[in-house]
Amino acid sequence: MLRFWPIWVLLLGGLFYWGLQRPNPDELKSVLVGRPAPTFSLPLLAPYRPTFGLEMGIGERLEKPVLLNIWASWCIPCRTEAPLLERFYRQHKDQILILGVNVQDREADALKFVQQYGLTFPSVFDGRGRIGIEYGYYGVPETFVISREGTVLARHAGELSEVQLRAYLEQVLR
Amino acid sequence: MTKPDQPRSTYITTAFWWLLLLTFSAWAQPTPNTPPPDFSPRVFEIARELRCPVCQGESAAESNAGIAVEMRRIIAEQLAQGRTEAEIRQFFVDRYGDWILYQPPVRGLTLWVWLSPLVGLALLGIGLWRYLARVRAQAQATASDVSEEEIARLESELSQTPER
Repeated sequence: MLRFWPIWVLLLGGLFYWGLQRPNPDELKSVLVGRPAPTFSLPLLAPYRPTFGLEMGIGERLEKPVLLNIWASWCIPCRTEAPLLERFYRQHKDQILILGVNVQDREADALKFVQQYGLTFPSVFDGRGRIGIEYGYYGVPETFVISREGTVLARHAGELSEVQLRAYLEQVLR
Repeated sequence: MTKPDQPRSTYITTAFWWLLLLTFSAWAQPTPNTPPPDFSPRVFEIARELRCPVCQGESAAESNAGIAVEMRRIIAEQLAQGRTEAEIRQFFVDRYGDWILYQPPVRGLTLWVWLSPLVGLALLGIGLWRYLARVRAQAQATASDVSEEEIARLESELSQTPER
């Protein structure tokens, strides 16, 4: 057996290299990537109704690409992410729609959150988090990038940065 | 320390009250794995096979996180609609992948995880068998390689060695 030591070294080295090349185990891959986004329509939070109507959601075809952002008022990373999303939405609202889904929350707390950060991108209310489960979410915040054709292009678990938002925008406009 | 002049009945009464206190304390503990009255035990049986996505090492049956409660509600609704357990499990697998199952199906990488101890044992067995075969062959070869002349010389040397 020891005569074949170069083969053993190569095998172990190969295994080690493969282990290093594997994607980050903390990265949560969504089974929805490349598949049609689950469709839904939910009531909008009151401040958005005059502009966007009573309900909003994801249909089979979309007017523009969507960043579906799942959030809750009790979630601390959502609080740091909210001003960034608002700024990004104001800059790129002609190219992309940011649609918030408020989950596992009380409507009054969600409204307070929206008012506190002056969020102009629409958010729907899903108190029990049913749509979150439809999208296979793990927690908040979580963002799904959906193309105009209604296909899920990416899922981002956790807080977004400006660089990541720009990369997703490029990906969706490609 | 107990007082020697204390009457025996006092000990019995004290012991009785302690026993009563302990019994009530035991009753006060929640009975493990008993489903709350809102869902049937079957809901919890299915939920026990599914992970709670936001928890560390807890199933959807054990956790009281909002998402786990909603998962149990979905299971209850689907059971009421007449779906089978396999269909309900598939509903969650379609959204979360095999990760959501506590016992993922034996295929792909999981298959290798199951097979690797067997492969390891087989390799170890082959290695050990080959090593033992070589040692045995060497022992036999050593015994048969000694010439008659050498044996005679060794015997004569042994016979000449003075006894101590």
